[in-house]
Amino acid sequence: MEQKLSYYITKAKELKINDNDKKIRIALLSSFTINGIEETFRVKCAERNIECQTYLAGYNQYFQNILDDQSDLYKFSPDLTFLLLDTRSILGNLFHFPYSISSSERTTFIETKFKELSNLINTFTKKTNSKLIVTNFSIPSFSPYGISETKQEYGLKSMIIDLNNKLESEFMQNDSVYIYDFNSFVAKFGENNMFDFKQYFFGDIKVCLDYIPHLVNDLMAYVIASLGLGKRCIVLDLDNTLWGGIVGEDGFDGIKLGNTPPGNAYQEFQRVLLSLYQRGVLLAINSKNNPEDALKVINEHPDMILKKEHFACLKINWDDKVTNMKEIAEDLNFGLDYMVFFDDDPVNREFVKTRLPQVLTVDLPKDPSQYSKILQNMSEFNTLSITEEDTKRGKMYLEQQQRKQFESFATNLEDFLKELNLKVSILPADQFTIPRISQLTLKTNQFNLTTHRYQEEEIREFVQNNQFLVGCAQVEDKFGDNGITGVFIVKKDTPKQWTLDTFLLSCRVMGREVEKAIISHIIKKAKENGVERIRAQYIPTQKNKPVESFLPDCGFVKEGDYWYYSKPDFKAPGFLTIDEK
Amino acid sequence: MSKKLYSLIAKVMGVDISIIDDNSSPETIPSWDSFNSYVLLDELESEFKTQFTIDEVVSTKNVADIKYYLKIHGVALDD
Repeated sequence: MEQKLSYYITKAKELKINDNDKKIRIALLSSFTINGIEETFRVKCAERNIECQTYLAGYNQYFQNILDDQSDLYKFSPDLTFLLLDTRSILGNLFHFPYSISSSERTTFIETKFKELSNLINTFTKKTNSKLIVTNFSIPSFSPYGISETKQEYGLKSMIIDLNNKLESEFMQNDSVYIYDFNSFVAKFGENNMFDFKQYFFGDIKVCLDYIPHLVNDLMAYVIASLGLGKRCIVLDLDNTLWGGIVGEDGFDGIKLGNTPPGNAYQEFQRVLLSLYQRGVLLAINSKNNPEDALKVINEHPDMILKKEHFACLKINWDDKVTNMKEIAEDLNFGLDYMVFFDDDPVNREFVKTRLPQVLTVDLPKDPSQYSKILQNMSEFNTLSITEEDTKRGKMYLEQQQRKQFESFATNLEDFLKELNLKVSILPADQFTIPRISQLTLKTNQFNLTTHRYQEEEIREFVQNNQFLVGCAQVEDKFGDNGITGVFIVKKDTPKQWTLDTFLLSCRVMGREVEKAIISHIIKKAKENGVERIRAQYIPTQKNKPVESFLPDCGFVKEGDYWYYSKPDFKAPGFLTIDEK
Repeated sequence: MSKKLYSLIAKVMGVDISIIDDNSSPETIPSWDSFNSYVLLDELESEFKTQFTIDEVVSTKNVADIKYYLKIHGVALDD
């Protein structure tokens, strides 16, 4: 249940400045009245422990703000800028009288508007490092031509559709600009609900007050994604969550799952889960059940959409949900704060909520027909771009399980690593790898020396600057490809000294000595360039203890705030094959 | 009912309920700006389950006017 706008306005006054490590600066520009939006952003950020500062441009001042180098917008120096535009403003008189001009004139008009808008967007991106999120235009439901609207060449609706398509194509490859599908937002809630003529006549309010919180809810996806806070794993109960009924009592044939109600509600929920799995969200099971009964359904029930291979981790036992949840986090090797928990039982939910507040426990209603909608309305799974690694993640975690089993059979770690046939390929930062490099700097917490967070455009700037060396490591072994799982950014201070600005490893490949392959590559490159010493820093955080001893283990020696490596070379472990592209 | 109305106005304007009376208006309460007027209108309509006409809104100058129009809309204020 979303709150009314007044709740956020009141709540924003009570917010205290907390010293959170997650911070964001949000600028808001618009062609209509959006008062209340900044308070809503601040409160919704605070709910997620994000310290948010906002800048709201004057009413309809977006052009001036963007064109003037000295404007308060640029002084504010935002991380994210939202430009909210509306169809009435862009069309002017044509909103009411589209057929007062010919179709070719309408085409020219839209072409001109598109150019104006693109120029404005490009002007903004040249002047700042802020990401810009531009809303597309909602297609008006009313046309003066009524049912004949669809018989007009380049009519009112076609004009808006064309403008939206042009904007989308223009900025498809631009990682500083994102087009938010505002038209879908209007469709989701309905134009008659979210546009209120009275509010429009009184205050030029074009998203009615009660829908501002819903809009911010959608836009929060950009905040979550740009801070790398997207949730990565959905942990699911089984009985009355993935199917109706209790398998232990109702039996294999008694559970409700299939293409008739209520079984189809569970099936649909599974389809939505599978679609999220395919974009890189992991799925896990946390169920109090007899393992044989539950696994029989997962493995053999013809109406299960989700199969065993879709689950990165299965905890089906009689332990409590909190114990299982902690074990899932441990098995998958990432924090509880990246997990979402779905369970139909309010008691279990309350238990997890109170003991593990960092897990996002979703309040499910009694009615399973609502599950899919709730899941589809969540903005927590967003990332700014979907990389190849994301779409393969589920499969990679499965291979990880096989590695784990193999590891438990190996007599010692050294033999295990030898038999793993590890191959580390060092790849340059280019258009294919930059999105993943940025993603890893934003997401990696554990094996990360400095935890510097970089957006794609910042990585691009490093790559273009010959004072920096940026690269990444792809790790393969006998079980499959782990994808790009290591990143290094080296700053060339002087001809004699380089500094490790960033050195990180995804938790997926920790404990394989891959880091030594990467450091050996960096040291080799440094020596080839006549560099005498490499400098590095370990900046401790709450989460990066696993990397604490890495520098001394590699032979770095501490002097003051830095660790230094000045030996002539570095030997990587023999069981690793290093491929330097 | 008046108390309910006063507390709603106090909440929207971010002031203490004790300073609200029938003469309260944008002239006497600094936070009662045009935007808070829209928020108040929205809150009144959902709280008292009624819709004011645009003319009624335009001619509302203070709390007494709000009470007057609420009565016209059949909302019983108990004082």
